[in-house]
Amino acid sequence: MSIPGAEDTIDPATFEQILEMDEDEVDREFSKSIVFDFFGQAESTFAKMDSSLDKKEKDYLKTLSELGHFLKGSSATLGLTKVKDSCEKIQHYGSLKDDAGTKDITEKQAQDKLLTIIAQAKEEFSEVEDVLRKFYKDA
Amino acid sequence: MAASLNAILTKSPVPSVVGLPPTIPEDVCQPNSFADDLLRYTPVATLILDAALQIRQVSDSYLRVSGANNRNHVVGHYAPNIFHQTVTFPAHASAREALQIAQDTGSVQQVQHLTNDNRAWTIRAVPVVRHGSLRYFQMEFTDTTEQRRQQLELEERLYTNECYRALVETVKDYAIFMLDPDGNVATWNAGAQAFKGYKPSEIIGRHFSNFYSEDDRRAGKPERELVDALRDGRCEDEGWRYRSDGSRFWANVVITTIYKDGAHLGFSKVTRDLTERRKSERKLISAYEEASKLKSEFLANMSHEIRTPMHGMLSALTLLLDTRLDENQLDLAHVIQESGEVLLQVINDILDYSKLASGSFSISQDIISVVDIIQSVFRAHLRCSKPGVALESYVDPNLPKAAEGDSLRYRQIIQNFLSNATKFTEEGYVRITAKVDKEDDEYYTILTEVVDTGIGIPAESTKTLFTPFTQFDNSATKRYKGTGLGLSICKSLAELMGGNIGYHANPEGRGSIFWFTAKLKKCKQAKIVEVLAGNMEALKSPSPISANPMQEIKVAAAGKRLLLTEDNFINRKVMLQMLSGLGFENIDVASDGKEAVAKASIEPTPYDLILMDVNMPVQDGVSATKELREKGLKVPIVAMTANALKGHAETYIAKGMSGYIAKPVDRNLLIKLLLKCLQRQDDG
Repeated sequence: MSIPGAEDTIDPATFEQILEMDEDEVDREFSKSIVFDFFGQAESTFAKMDSSLDKKEKDYLKTLSELGHFLKGSSATLGLTKVKDSCEKIQHYGSLKDDAGTKDITEKQAQDKLLTIIAQAKEEFSEVEDVLRKFYKDA
Repeated sequence: MAASLNAILTKSPVPSVVGLPPTIPEDVCQPNSFADDLLRYTPVATLILDAALQIRQVSDSYLRVSGANNRNHVVGHYAPNIFHQTVTFPAHASAREALQIAQDTGSVQQVQHLTNDNRAWTIRAVPVVRHGSLRYFQMEFTDTTEQRRQQLELEERLYTNECYRALVETVKDYAIFMLDPDGNVATWNAGAQAFKGYKPSEIIGRHFSNFYSEDDRRAGKPERELVDALRDGRCEDEGWRYRSDGSRFWANVVITTIYKDGAHLGFSKVTRDLTERRKSERKLISAYEEASKLKSEFLANMSHEIRTPMHGMLSALTLLLDTRLDENQLDLAHVIQESGEVLLQVINDILDYSKLASGSFSISQDIISVVDIIQSVFRAHLRCSKPGVALESYVDPNLPKAAEGDSLRYRQIIQNFLSNATKFTEEGYVRITAKVDKEDDEYYTILTEVVDTGIGIPAESTKTLFTPFTQFDNSATKRYKGTGLGLSICKSLAELMGGNIGYHANPEGRGSIFWFTAKLKKCKQAKIVEVLAGNMEALKSPSPISANPMQEIKVAAAGKRLLLTEDNFINRKVMLQMLSGLGFENIDVASDGKEAVAKASIEPTPYDLILMDVNMPVQDGVSATKELREKGLKVPIVAMTANALKGHAETYIAKGMSGYIAKPVDRNLLIKLLLKCLQRQDDG
């Protein structure tokens, strides 16, 4: 079962797996709670990312990498492919690596890339959030 | 004296007539007289002249040496006339002079005459005086060629000896002296004194080991050198020698055994002070090393600086390729991409090489599985293998499942060998084999070979194969791209791994064999890991697939207790829901590795299986697993990871995990994995 309008942002098989965990296909209590928990987690994580990148305190890149990894895990679990991919990039840039995590980049490059990718991730998130809220008729 | 002589001479008859017919005076020619016999048969060529210089008697020997065959051509003749005949007997020339002086001085004259053919004659003119007046002259001619030669030789020898003595004594830049057969100093020259500070009186008679350090003396070095010199005739050494004031200098020493007439006289010892030379050598070497290091650092920096914009360029190019390009533009963009990738490889090689050359390259010691590495490289090459080339891999089943090494660098060598082999092989096969070459208590030495049936290496190129920047195909129309650094990097890597690298021709006639060895340390918890890795093998092998895994897992889950370690609460929640859906009712959670270790290390462990996230704060899943394994925990630990990076999965297993599942977790895969793990637990 795929979500209308989100075929390229949500991996159907993964999301379906979550939906299958619902005991009741009408109220979808479990999956809904998970998805809404994720909204909260994503927003707070993005806020932490913004503040890290803004303040640039000691080990801020490492923190960003960890935050990227963290959100990557939950977005992957829900099958939110685009957000997951962007989070993975945040994780790599934060460890001073390129997109693929294989080649070194400089700190300056990392900062620039992070700024762009975090914005992109937020956009992707809000896009998928809209779709999901509609799906759960919460919009 | 001269006055009386003159008095005598004035009285003596003066030869006034030249060319008179010879008259033979009666008194000297009396036959059979004793004097006559004596004069005639003396072996010394002799002439007797009277005061008027007329030849009165002649010996046979004179006739022989002067070439005057007939005695009548001589006797009775005026001697100076005879002495003019220098053609037959060159010594006559000097006889004339000797006679003249003897006549003038009245004393015995002896002159030496050297002929043009290097013969020597000694001519003696003996004036015989009686009652104050000159009566006769006795002229003797002796061939002294031999004596003269000996004399000259002697003189030369004396001269040479003298020269040598002066030479040796005055040379200041070399200490040259003699030792007696026991090694005691026998002579001492100026150089020796200047170098070593001893005066002859202070050192002669003392043993030469005084010049050596305490350590050398204790080690018996001086004695050993004499033994060596006796055996080989000479012995050379470079090392510290000590002066009388205790300071030292870097010396080159040559000890030569000296024999005279077969008897061992002793040893000559020549010492040179090399302190200055050594200093400048050191300076040169360190300057060279510094320059070489700077060069490597420069290369490393440059490569790094080039690499960064290269990445930018290639990334932009990838994006460009995704845009709408016409066929022509697409072709060009592909050319740029391909060239860019080659360039990047070149730069990476140079970076590796310069890191290796500057010594700033280190090898990590992770737990690796050689088999997994080989298989993963092999699979990658399988995808792009040429149609006529069979790609084969033979892996020794005795290879350790886990050992300590650097998987990235191990992989790099295999990768290089395999890509070379496939690049140069158009038909036949490329085969990779690996086996345990040696094994001791601490290490495995693993031999990995890549055999191909490609173009092979010309014999003259095999020596430079592993030399940086050489490629055996250096023709202008190079068919094969590359920096010529790959193999030299591999060589350094193999050496860093405690191994070797080499090449030999494929004995099957065509192609090459490249091999390398690496020393991998055995790991402490190898046993557990191997048992578990064995379990993994069992997991991988196909087992009867049950008709309904869902039912089966529910049966297997009954009464099982799991520990779920996951830091992200959303994932935790999903996993819990999923697991409870599979029939697991008893699940504990831990939000980081440390908590997991604490919960699982209770004896006996309450869990039948642990699900372990890899990246977690506080303590990550890998180190938690390692810690648990070290504590002897044997229950299956399943890694959950979103790290899709190549090679990571193998690492987890090598590090003590029993299996791994990628995130997002696929339920069906999870069921399969859990079934395998739990069933094994039950069987065990």
